Amino acid sequence: MKKISTLFFLVFISLTLFLSCSSRLKLTNETLYFNLDTEPPSLDPSKATDTTSNLVIENIMDSLTDYDVSTPDLKIVPKVAKSWKVTKGGKVYTFILRDDVLWTDGKKVTAHDLEYSWRRLIEPATAAEYAYFLFDVKNAKAFNEGKVKDFSKVGIKALDDYTFQVTLEQPVSYFLHVSTFPSLSPLRKDVIDQWGDRWTEPEHIVTMGPYKLTKWKHDYQLTLERNENYYDTKGKLKKVECFMIVEQSTALSLYQTRKLDVIRQVPPLDIPKLKQTSEFHSGNFLSTYYIGMNTKKTPLNNPYVRKALASAIDKTQITEMLQKGDFPTSSLIPMGMQGYNPDLGHKFNVAQAHEWMKKAGYEKKEGNPSWIHSKTKDPFPSITFMYNTNEAHKTIAEDLQAQWKKNLGITMVIDNQEWKVYNNSLQSSHQSPQTASFHLFRLGWVADYPDPDNFMSLFTSYSDNNHTQWGSSKFDSLTEKAKVILNDAKRVDLYNKAQKILLEEDTAIIPLYVYAHQSMWRDEVKGAQMNPLDRWYFDQIWLERNVK
Amino acid sequence: MYLFILKRLFIAIPVIFILATLTFCIMRITPGGPFDKDKAIPPEIKANIEAKYHLDKPPFINTSAFHEKKWADIFTETQYFYYMKGLAQGDLGPSYKYLGRSVTDIIRDSLPVSVELGLYAALLAFLLGVPLGILAAYKHNSWIDNAAMFTAISGITLPSFLVAALLIYIFSIKMAWLPAGLWDGGWEYKILPTIALGLRPVAIIARLMRTSMLDVIQADYVRTARAKGLNEVWVILKHVVKNSLIPVITISGPLIAGIITGSFIIEHVFAIPGIAKHFILAVTNRDYTLIMGVTLVYAVLLIIANILVDVLYALVDPRIKLS
Repeated sequence: MKKISTLFFLVFISLTLFLSCSSRLKLTNETLYFNLDTEPPSLDPSKATDTTSNLVIENIMDSLTDYDVSTPDLKIVPKVAKSWKVTKGGKVYTFILRDDVLWTDGKKVTAHDLEYSWRRLIEPATAAEYAYFLFDVKNAKAFNEGKVKDFSKVGIKALDDYTFQVTLEQPVSYFLHVSTFPSLSPLRKDVIDQWGDRWTEPEHIVTMGPYKLTKWKHDYQLTLERNENYYDTKGKLKKVECFMIVEQSTALSLYQTRKLDVIRQVPPLDIPKLKQTSEFHSGNFLSTYYIGMNTKKTPLNNPYVRKALASAIDKTQITEMLQKGDFPTSSLIPMGMQGYNPDLGHKFNVAQAHEWMKKAGYEKKEGNPSWIHSKTKDPFPSITFMYNTNEAHKTIAEDLQAQWKKNLGITMVIDNQEWKVYNNSLQSSHQSPQTASFHLFRLGWVADYPDPDNFMSLFTSYSDNNHTQWGSSKFDSLTEKAKVILNDAKRVDLYNKAQKILLEEDTAIIPLYVYAHQSMWRDEVKGAQMNPLDRWYFDQIWLERNVK
Repeated sequence: MYLFILKRLFIAIPVIFILATLTFCIMRITPGGPFDKDKAIPPEIKANIEAKYHLDKPPFINTSAFHEKKWADIFTETQYFYYMKGLAQGDLGPSYKYLGRSVTDIIRDSLPVSVELGLYAALLAFLLGVPLGILAAYKHNSWIDNAAMFTAISGITLPSFLVAALLIYIFSIKMAWLPAGLWDGGWEYKILPTIALGLRPVAIIARLMRTSMLDVIQADYVRTARAKGLNEVWVILKHVVKNSLIPVITISGPLIAGIITGSFIIEHVFAIPGIAKHFILAVTNRDYTLIMGVTLVYAVLLIIANILVDVLYALVDPRIKLS
């Protein structure tokens, strides 16, 4: 018996030593282990539309300009373009390019590579979702629709090897933001022609950013290595190993066991525990989570009912319940962006909400908690809130249901749908809003670029993203004016007026909160910083590990 | 036997055709398409995208061709025809989600990983499940039987995400013996997912083996073998175990096909780049071609597994003849 227990003990000890030695990574200051979260659906700048793909593209490609994320107003700084001038009242942008930018195969980057890339984005055959980024450019929309076949009529021109000119249909205040988009980085025609859709595989890809793609094991891992030909300050990290770990708790476990240095997202349930540590970092996105109202469906076709609903929500209660550190808001334009105005929108005020209900024509009889229409004597109907299946949205829906019941005495039915079905329901409600199955829905918007137009144009009467069925010619004209005006103070004033119509006078939507995001990185990871665009520039990050 | 296998493979062709047609129909009936997003795509851009993937054509019958009296186009200018034509040529089409990758690429990259993990788990299931079942039946109603069946019931009832989370917590976080996830890098990465995936099949096989063996052990021919004075080990191995294996073989076909096509939960929790996630995510993304691709892969594996099971029957049980 003694022999057996000694044997067991020895086996246990040797197994412990063996296993603990075998699974340890060799950590150096040259390689960063980073969690990308998911497989990038495409590394083709013309086709990528998601944050993961763009995170990689931003590190292997450079556009004409870029944001300096260390500045609070996200200043636009030169990249491939060393300078630019704006002429003809903001209609013509002429970019002067650097002449020392090299592709990873040694060739020089020229304005023709930019012309090709911009043209490819709007070429109908490319079928790029983000083609609309260039719809402000002269004839670009018509070219994309196939109405203009001759590309020389489009306002995109390489004047010579290092001069690139863009002519717009009309001046737009945010156009310089467009020049930062990864979708518009230069591309190599010969490489794409030779390899077709497979040109983004590591063995074919030719890039020009601070890092280059050297390995891509789909759905698992990709490796970025420093581009030694890079024209700007070279990164300190020699290699970045990016993993695609979707499950947040697995990523956290790997982080805790030193297999990862950075995780971009933290499981919400672990936030209260982890936020005590120095490795926990939190910030806000330029984004807004909002409740939309079907303004054509009874009883929400009455603006006073919509105002009553908006005034009867304690948004702080919702964000506290979610425990993600989101920021309650009543403004559509998120904080940190030009035009953000915390004074706009309805504030939580139950007495005011009751007043709105009375103005809407409803009354409450003594001893009866329900609202009754004072003329028709019909009881206030129950309203339906639709959301896409997700735990956080469900929590919000249930809390809204409880708050409106408690604060207003209104009954709400909750309906959840799978994501694609949900999008389909929202789109198809445009045909017949009165008979749509829902009164209210939820959606969120994360900025494509840090300009208020990106948010405000969502709710113009002709926007495909406006599912409220609400439209106001006054709102449309204010938003259109603000889009082309170049004076900042005047723009803010126009947006204030437009937001007042959308959020107060007509109350078509109820903004709930600005999304917070949390990441973890080790103390030895230096140079990383939270920013509202969730950009990760690996050339600005370095490691200070205690390497023996 | 070869004729039998050939015949079965021949029957499989219409089965796959019907399955492909049914899957195609179900996909098109389901609301929402691959390019329906919360961020609305302008109609002119959506038209370009749909044209690129032939989604601008009607799914089954082209009524406009009918009105224009282009009789040949009524069935050929449809999404179904384009897909089936590609399929007949071995082209599963491009993925709508992973732009620039073909469905064949995706399956080629991910299936071997799931097969590898599945084979480890299947091996574990047979090497542990069969002896556990034999032991439990042989020591019927003893503490060994109770302990083995307790383990088996636990294996069946515990959800795999819980088993995976427990394994990670104990062996990765607390003891720091094994990695909490990932796949490439050495054998130590394979242990926890294999256990998490194999536990349920171990339990199923152990229970089945036990029940089957309890039936066989009371058979007349076993009593006769014992009466003839045969060695007990020989009686169990040659007469009891061999004959008790029939039900285990019956379920092993679908069981193996199931585990080598992966488990969404296990692959998700351990961040393994297998095919299982595509069974779920292709549907949520409405990645039509990928849904078809993975469904067909599963069908082919199931057909092959069932043919193998029938062949194994004949080898184990001399009463069964392949015809």
